[in-house]
Amino acid sequence: MALGQDRYASRGDTAVFIVCIALSLVSMSLPERMREGIAAALRDTVLLPLLELQDQSEQLRTSRARFTAVMAERDSASLAAAFLPELRAENDRLRALLGLGQRLGSGFVPAEVLHQSSPVDPLTLLVSAGHKAGVTPLAAVVAPAGLLGIVRVVNNETSEVVTWAHPEFRASAMAADGSVFGIVAPFSTEGPDVWLLELRGVPYRQTVANGTVIVTSGLGGVLPRGIPIGTIMGVARETEWERVYLVLPAIHPAAASHVLILRTGVGRPAPDDLRGAFGVGTAAP
Amino acid sequence: MRRTDKYRFWIVIALLVALQFSVRSRLGSARVAPDFLLLALLIYSIRSPAGVSALAGFLVGLAGDALTPATFGAGMLAHTLVAYFASWAKAVFFAENLFVNGCLFFGGTWVRNLIVALVSGKLKGGMLGWELLVWSPLQGLTTAIAGVVVLVMFREWLAVRRADA
Repeated sequence: MALGQDRYASRGDTAVFIVCIALSLVSMSLPERMREGIAAALRDTVLLPLLELQDQSEQLRTSRARFTAVMAERDSASLAAAFLPELRAENDRLRALLGLGQRLGSGFVPAEVLHQSSPVDPLTLLVSAGHKAGVTPLAAVVAPAGLLGIVRVVNNETSEVVTWAHPEFRASAMAADGSVFGIVAPFSTEGPDVWLLELRGVPYRQTVANGTVIVTSGLGGVLPRGIPIGTIMGVARETEWERVYLVLPAIHPAAASHVLILRTGVGRPAPDDLRGAFGVGTAAP
Repeated sequence: MRRTDKYRFWIVIALLVALQFSVRSRLGSARVAPDFLLLALLIYSIRSPAGVSALAGFLVGLAGDALTPATFGAGMLAHTLVAYFASWAKAVFFAENLFVNGCLFFGGTWVRNLIVALVSGKLKGGMLGWELLVWSPLQGLTTAIAGVVVLVMFREWLAVRRADA
């Protein structure tokens, strides 16, 4: 690059420089109103395109930020909406449980079905009430819809529950109207049929209509009378002297999140007949 | 020099002005972000006679002061002085060198901020110290980096002989 002419700053350059300096000093000493007037005039004329460019840039930036915020809000709303049915279902279950608790009055311990993080026996559950809460072995575990299982092992703070799907589960049962008695047991020990029950020991001469509600009979003294177990689906098989009926369980173990454990013997036990609490027929003696 | 070279030079200047009003606000704090307008003024000044540079500095300062009326006049004075002495010093002392140009951008930014801070009287005591020892050097550094990048990217376009600028 060639540097300048013979003189680096001519008289003209110096004069322009001095004039600019003088104008700057004069500008600084101008009254506030005049300064603002000049500045406003420049902003409204010469600088207007540049200010509009700046404004557009700011709008673009804020629009992107707003878009990101809206996207985040939409994602949050979607997430909340995804959980809504589950929350509603849980709310319904809790309301039903509260209703059952009020109908029972006393003699039960509320408990939560604990999440089991490791693969364990799927036919047993762990609940959040144990010896300290007054839970005893063989106590009935119920949900608003009916019988879920029986307490097998009681610890201080928790209890292990054998659900009706467990191969060892048995319950003395009857039709809700008391016309038929039998023993309820799991229909199968493996495969999809494990989630069905069967009513055994029904004399051949007696028939049970489909849709008949089966409840606990109270015989044997382990389970109180009147807890719904399920409804008759049809005849599973027949032998020379008995019919075995297929029973659709009243509640699936996976659907239970909160349960009531009925007290037996000690303190204030649950009533012996719970048909009123569960709203099933009371025709039988 | 070809006729189109002159237009290319002004395209770079216009690009820097556009960057000042579009991108600068996205480059972090205004105290530290590179001053593309001052950069354009310095690139213009080191290729122009001192008087024209002083006038350009005065106009750039006027534009800046119009946007910040609280320091009206301080920007004009500062930019006039910086542009004039950049033109003069480049002609007297400096060679055409990327590092030297970078130092000029850094020094020009710092001196501009020093003059504005002192003349406007808005900063005093510790705030003035922070401005001159921390924020101004940082802005000088970012402006110098931006200037070097511009010179490297548009080396051919900015290689205008002084007598033709």
